[in-house]
Amino acid sequence: MSMFKSMNISSSALTAQRLRMDVISSNMANVDSTRGEYRNGQWEPYRRKLVETAPKENSFQSYLQKASGNGSGFGSGVKVTRIKEDDAPFRVMFDPEHPDANEDGYVELPNVDPLKEMVDLMSASRSYEANVTVFNASKGIMMKTLELGK
Amino acid sequence: MKIFSTSIQALEKGIQYSGAKHKAISHNIANVDTPNFKRKEIKPNFGETYQRALEANKTDDRHREFSGSSNKAFKMDNTSYSYSHNGNNVDIDKEMSDLAENQIYYYTLIDQMSGKFQSLQNVIKGGRG
Repeated sequence: MSMFKSMNISSSALTAQRLRMDVISSNMANVDSTRGEYRNGQWEPYRRKLVETAPKENSFQSYLQKASGNGSGFGSGVKVTRIKEDDAPFRVMFDPEHPDANEDGYVELPNVDPLKEMVDLMSASRSYEANVTVFNASKGIMMKTLELGK
Repeated sequence: MKIFSTSIQALEKGIQYSGAKHKAISHNIANVDTPNFKRKEIKPNFGETYQRALEANKTDDRHREFSGSSNKAFKMDNTSYSYSHNGNNVDIDKEMSDLAENQIYYYTLIDQMSGKFQSLQNVIKGGRG
C-alpha cells in the first residue's frame, strides 16, 4: 500500500542519519590516530570520513508511477552514495618524542576537527529526531485510517 | 435514487491528496541534509472540480465540452530556489508545521468519512441501533 511507503521514506532517513553518527563517532575516536593506513612503506594518519547522500528518486516504482500517470513520481527517501575521505591537509604538531615524528621532530595528525564533528553530530541527531517525528505521524495516520468503518 | 452522496468521493479525493502530501513532506524531511536537494510540493488540482461545476450547456451537437485537464486530485510542484549554502532548499520548520497541519487535516477527513458511514449505518438499521 502507498501509505507504507512514507514509513519506508522515514526509515531510509533514519538509517542514513545513524550512519552519519557512526562515521562521526569513528572520526572522533580517531582524532589522534597517527597510524590510519599503511601506504608506500610508511604510516599515514587517519583521514576524516564523510557520508555522501543523495535523494532516492530513480526507483522502478517511481518510474512506473510516472508512466502510469498515477501520482507524479514521488521521491522515496534518501540513500547513502558513498563514504568519502576528506582531502584536507593533515594537522602538523611539533613533538620530537612521538614515535611517528619525522627527522625534524614534526608529527602529522589526522585532519579531524573535533569542533566540526560536534556540529555535524548535533545536525545528524536533530535530523534523526525530526524523522522520528515524521515516522510517528505516519503511524498515527495509519492507525486513524484503521478506525474507519468501526 | 442516490443512496451514497458524492461527498464520500470528494472525501476520498481529499484523503488521497493528504496521503500524497504526507509522502512528499516525508521525502523532504528525509533529505534535509542532502546537498542540492530541491523540495517537492503537492498542490490540490481543481481541474476536476471545475469541470464538474462548469458543465457546458450544449444547445448544438457541435458544441465542445469545456476541456478538463486531468482527474487527479493533486499535482506535483518542484520549487528551485536555494535556502541553504549547500543548494538544499528544505526549511525544516516549515516542513514540520506542514506535517502537523496535514496530519490534522487527514484526521478531520477520516472523522468526516466515519460520520458518513455512521449515518448510512443508522439509515440501514432504521434508526434502531
